[in-house]
Amino acid sequence: MVRGPAQRQVRPARVYQTVTTLMEHRIKPRLAVQQPVWYKVVESIPPSEILTRPFPPQHRQPNPRARKASRLFQPQKLVYKEDELRKKFYTDHPWELARPRMIIEMDGKDALRCDWSKGLRQPGMPLSGECVVQRQMYLMENVPGITEDTAYDQVRKEFYKLRQEEEIERRIAQEEARMVGAYFGQTFNQVGMKLEDQQFERWKRWATREIEKIQGEQTAAYSSFDASEDPEAADLDVDSLREDLESTANIPPA
Amino acid sequence: MIIREFGLRQGRNALAAPLRRGQQCLRALSTETSGTPVATADPAVEAALQTNPENPTVPSLFARTAKPTRRRPVAPDTTKADWETAQQMRHNLRNVGAQVEHRYSPSDDVTLELLMASQAHMGHHASVWNPANARYIYGIRQGIHIISLEQTAAHLRRAARVVEEVAYHGGLILFVGTRPGQTQIVTQAARLAKACHLFTKWTPGTITNSDKILPGIPVEIVNEHDQPIGGFNQHLMDRRALVPDLVVCLNPLENFTMLRECSQANVPTIGIVDTNTEPTWVTYAIPANDDSLRCLAVIGSVLGRAGEAGQKRRMEDAKNGKVTWDTPSEIKQFMEIQQKRARWAKRAADEEAAASDTSGGLNGNSSGGGATKDSEVFDESMQELQMEVDAANADDVSPQLRKMARRTD
Repeated sequence: MVRGPAQRQVRPARVYQTVTTLMEHRIKPRLAVQQPVWYKVVESIPPSEILTRPFPPQHRQPNPRARKASRLFQPQKLVYKEDELRKKFYTDHPWELARPRMIIEMDGKDALRCDWSKGLRQPGMPLSGECVVQRQMYLMENVPGITEDTAYDQVRKEFYKLRQEEEIERRIAQEEARMVGAYFGQTFNQVGMKLEDQQFERWKRWATREIEKIQGEQTAAYSSFDASEDPEAADLDVDSLREDLESTANIPPA
Repeated sequence: MIIREFGLRQGRNALAAPLRRGQQCLRALSTETSGTPVATADPAVEAALQTNPENPTVPSLFARTAKPTRRRPVAPDTTKADWETAQQMRHNLRNVGAQVEHRYSPSDDVTLELLMASQAHMGHHASVWNPANARYIYGIRQGIHIISLEQTAAHLRRAARVVEEVAYHGGLILFVGTRPGQTQIVTQAARLAKACHLFTKWTPGTITNSDKILPGIPVEIVNEHDQPIGGFNQHLMDRRALVPDLVVCLNPLENFTMLRECSQANVPTIGIVDTNTEPTWVTYAIPANDDSLRCLAVIGSVLGRAGEAGQKRRMEDAKNGKVTWDTPSEIKQFMEIQQKRARWAKRAADEEAAASDTSGGLNGNSSGGGATKDSEVFDESMQELQMEVDAANADDVSPQLRKMARRTD
């Protein structure tokens, strides 16, 4: 990405003033500067004021003990009540994060179509951890005397029940499909094991080749020596490799 | 360990085996093909030499290196049959499967919810912010700056007003979006607003050095009904390239050069400013997420629709006899010169006619009719010329330059 120099520009915001000056004070006396098409437009709709540092929107209570102002003109962190609930739920159920989730909305009003007094299932929204959080929020705000933990327990159990229903439905659908002749390929675990086995086989072939190479080099280097004078260095190397190979691949010892 | 390895390596070098393929190397290096008694280690070649002494002997070098080519079994060409099978299959399966239907139906009004759903509020990481954008930032969420959608909506409304008014006053608008994926957004906005678009690289100097970069770009002169007017060929031949009256830039970060040129040429600009962009590069900033194509599509469509509304208003006013723009000064000047020339030509013709009249009177009165006829013919031609100039100069039919063809890079 090509970035321009990050420097302030003065002229763009002052186009109107520049052209006004040009029109009033001719550089060449005979040459009149014509009023541009946009002149009246920019006059009636001036650019907004920028480059003044405003007091940012405040999202936290000011600390009464603070003696001096800190980060007075910097944007503040946005913290919502649901954050803690969300964190707790996903700490307890980390695999819920592995489920695919649709985050694209049409008009952005999906949240208005949900009524969390009705339960966890909402129109146009699959069951997820977000349902639990929203339902828990609803209970905490609307049921008198309910604590956070009680609400969490209640909603959690509703959630487990619905997940169990989903699981049973899926299993039955699978069985029905198998009965009428459907077949499903390998599972993800099976595919993973197969790929792993292929890699092991590759490694076995490579290791066998390496052993042969080293042995060939040894015999070539010491062909004129007696067998009793073979150095043990190379033997050690080959032996260790062969041990590795035998232990992993169950090759019959040579 | 190290010493052992050293011994292995050095011993191997010291006790290197003699050249294993001595015979082959010798044969490969020898260039003679005579029947010198070189010991041939290849029994096949030797046998061939012994069996056919009459045949021209193949050079041993060639015989050794040339390998018999392995022919693949020729498979029958089933392309046609495969294609027909596929067509048949497609025909059989044409009604099988899900019916994909378009569910996206955008509403007319742009709401804050729509802006949020199109991810207009997401800025960049808080560490790469430009503090000049502090006015547009609502807060920090998970490390990134969140743009205030109220600010976005307000600035978008302002920018849309500018686009509409410039289109109403007959200005030339240019939509620029040079990132991949912005082509459709830019072209659609330009089509709606009857504007120009650019989705490839901005050639540096297109405004400031337009005499070199854009020579001979076709330009036509139209009246307020957007109908082309003739009679300005001489003017168009030595006219400089047009400069846009408003530039809308979807990615100011990559188009710094263009924005700089616009500011030098006093062209107002509208740009989408993310939290890491410098907002002073553009005249009208729209704080929004410039990395989301959905957000850019929303903003581009809003601006395009605004331009469309402005053009529509302009055409309606033109029908009612109201022209919303002034004739450019160069064209005015050209027309004045043409009028002057016509006046001079008329005066010269009058003088000439008067002279011929007096001479005809001296010679006789028979040629008087011919002279009047000549003057009548000239008057007619002059009237035509005058009408043309008047038509071009009149208030209700004012010529306006319009770019005919878009830039083709």
